Amino acid sequence: MTTLEQLSQAVAAGKSKDAKALTQRALDEGVKPGRLVDEALVPAMAAVGERFKNNEIFVPEMLVAARAMKEAMNLLEPRLLAAGITPKYTALIGTVQGDLHDIGKNLVAVMWRGANFRVVDLGTNVPPAKFVAAINEHRPQLIGLSALLTTTMPAMVETVRTIRASGCPAVKIMVGGAPISQQFAEEIGADGYASDAGSAVDRARELVGAI
Amino acid sequence: MSRPQSIHVQWPDGASTLALRAVHHDGATLADQLAEAGRPLNTRCGRHGRCAGCTVELVAGRFLGRDGTEHAAPAEIKACQGRLAPGADTTIAVPARSLATHRPQVVTTFKVGVPAATEPLVPVVPGESDHGLAIDIGTTTVVVSLVDLRSGNIVREEASFNRQIELGDDVVTRIQLAGVPDKLDVLRDAIVGRTLAPLIAGVCAGAAIAPERLAGATVAGNTTMLHLLTGTDPTPMGVAPFCAAFLEHRQLTAANIGLSTPPPAMPVHLLPGISAYVGADLVAGCVCTGLNHCAEPSLLVDIGTNGEILLMHRGRLLATATAAGPAFEGGRLARGTRAVAGAVAHVRFDGEFPPALDLIPGANGIVGLCGSAYVDFLAQGRRISLLEPTGRISPSAWQTLPAVHRHHRDITRGVRLNAQNDATLVTEADVAHLLQAKAAIAAGIVTLLRRAGLAPADIRTLYLAGGFGLHLDVAHAIESGLLPGFRPEQIDVVGNTALGGAWLALIDRTVLPEMIAASTAAEVVELNLEPGFEDTFIDHLALP
Ligand code: B1M
Repeated sequence: MTTLEQLSQAVAAGKSKDAKALTQRALDEGVKPGRLVDEALVPAMAAVGERFKNNEIFVPEMLVAARAMKEAMNLLEPRLLAAGITPKYTALIGTVQGDLHDIGKNLVAVMWRGANFRVVDLGTNVPPAKFVAAINEHRPQLIGLSALLTTTMPAMVETVRTIRASGCPAVKIMVGGAPISQQFAEEIGADGYASDAGSAVDRARELVGAI
Repeated sequence: MSRPQSIHVQWPDGASTLALRAVHHDGATLADQLAEAGRPLNTRCGRHGRCAGCTVELVAGRFLGRDGTEHAAPAEIKACQGRLAPGADTTIAVPARSLATHRPQVVTTFKVGVPAATEPLVPVVPGESDHGLAIDIGTTTVVVSLVDLRSGNIVREEASFNRQIELGDDVVTRIQLAGVPDKLDVLRDAIVGRTLAPLIAGVCAGAAIAPERLAGATVAGNTTMLHLLTGTDPTPMGVAPFCAAFLEHRQLTAANIGLSTPPPAMPVHLLPGISAYVGADLVAGCVCTGLNHCAEPSLLVDIGTNGEILLMHRGRLLATATAAGPAFEGGRLARGTRAVAGAVAHVRFDGEFPPALDLIPGANGIVGLCGSAYVDFLAQGRRISLLEPTGRISPSAWQTLPAVHRHHRDITRGVRLNAQNDATLVTEADVAHLLQAKAAIAAGIVTLLRRAGLAPADIRTLYLAGGFGLHLDVAHAIESGLLPGFRPEQIDVVGNTALGGAWLALIDRTVLPEMIAASTAAEVVELNLEPGFEDTFIDHLALP
């Protein structure tokens, strides 16, 4: 098995330490960071997403895989940046104002990175105006809003409204989080909804027109 | 007015024909109709369609979903999500676990770790005004104890579900509901008029004590419950930075609260809390167990839909709240139920499969599995390698089970603990939910300990409070990683110390000042702001 194949397997199996070591080894062997992403990480996260959709794995295993992916990305990101490699699509993501939950949002962010999106993470408790400012700054094709509390669903409504009314560049809005539903997403005028981090990737690709 | 709708209902204890109020325009659902007909269902998510609490079987007829979908029998439907289409011979079957009428298993027992005198908080006139009430308002259950203030003894106890449950299962759902116009009053009436009033009348009647003899009351409860009790708007507690309108000790009267049974001027003391999510129930437990005086590092842990944790170390009291979600109360699990009659409380694998099952008595047959049984399953399932560390059911171990115990849907597996009974099914999806709840509690404990530079082995005593703790098999809680890295000797199961603290504060007036001191001294640790929390949470998703 090549180092890249081993890396891909380590990430999919959630072996963080191995993922880190194998990433380093591949770099030492002279594999270009871009190729490492395309041939090891993207397929690994695609496999994870696919297995999740098929109920072959559940959230706990996915979180562990995402952590391994993050270990690898931590080593690669500075090099990708230095090499001037930027993915075709940019996405913003954040947890809405009043809510500090971010584990699910972080997972979606990793899966998007794994699908070769540039992801700008605005963190938690993000006020609507900050989303608008970030849209103007980063010009993303996609923006993701997460809410985990039934009490912060109104903040999501407000955020969508503010973005739409702001006159900032056109952007697709996707929403998600445990209390959110397809119906709610439609009611508040979001462009898309995903119930989990696996389908969040498919929806993201659809929304930006990548498929 | 249109004619009532007549339907046939198969209840767990027999069939009946029910006339439901006709609904067409006001948006009322089958769940509303059944509640009006005196048979409320378990609408614990607040009728949002998020839980399976009110699921009934459509045996004959059609069901019109609120979202425009239509279901024809046979189908499983959520009664809060639509109404039955008019038509003759419409029949539904209501399983026991969907009824709200189960009696709760309430904990009225508690262990007191400190000496107390009988020198009541309120003035006593023997023969005239010499009894008091110690009250614990839980999100799920409410207990009222009648105390003879001359002796300090509890003479009568009554408990019931908190009637707010019909309006919403967890505290956040109720906080949100309170923001809807008029609903704050509805919530207040549910606790004051429909829960406390009958309980107070009940204890007085049961002990043959005239309500005029009530001299005072102490109330413990989480911060949201005390807000709703006093009609105070709790909505700021629903969003960051989670601000409570009040946390301090308050002395009110029966008339202020709206209780009409006791004398209007009877003092009612609300015990002090620490933060929006670490309430007076924990402060009461802290003093009841003597945690506030522990010289060696000790913990108080109360596990519910939220887990509250207090750590006493070198004279400092650290407090935090973690979130577990409803899994340990059976929420979102295929066959999960609260600890009600007919629930499997314990699972014992004495070496082999199938395990022996212990039921909570009082029902015919098995209604489902409650939290303590799932913890048993996690620990022993892992021990016999039926479960992998990831929480997946081992394909090879599963293959060796008799076919009647095996369940599968698509490619996910399940195990029927009792071959004859589908109410004993545990699926891999259930395990995944349980692992998240377990990890949130475990990571909360470990993160708080780490803040103080401690490890589980350094703890002298972990006081495990609350109803869930009382039903738990402590060794299995440790083995499953819910109480990670502890030894059984460190765990002291103390029961309902919120009630215990309310009782102590009532009979010994030196206790309340201690509670006030503890609540103001406590330092709140916000787990979101702890850098290692997410990693720790992910680490603890695995089974040891
Ligand atoms: C953009 O597009 C998309 C698309 C899909 C998207 C998406 C965006 N965002 C999410 N998704 C989706 O994809 C993800 C992967 O499949 C999924 O994300 P999830 O987040 O659902 O799943 C994650 C991968 C793993 N799951 C989680 O991360 C959430 C797990 C539970 C246990 C949970 C946790 C861990 C925490 N919590 Co909190 N917490 C609970 C949760 C109960 C539960 N069992 O679900 C929940 C959400 N919490 C709750 C509460 C009340 C709270 N929590 C609080 C705190 C915490 C912790 C700090 C302890 C911790 C958060 C740590 C962190 N940094 O995020 C409090 C304050 C929160 C705050 N400060 O904002 C507090 C307010 C009170 C408290 N208990 O202390 C409850 C909300 C109840 C309600 N009715 O709204 C709760 C359901 C637990 C409960 N008590 O019932 C999907 O939702």
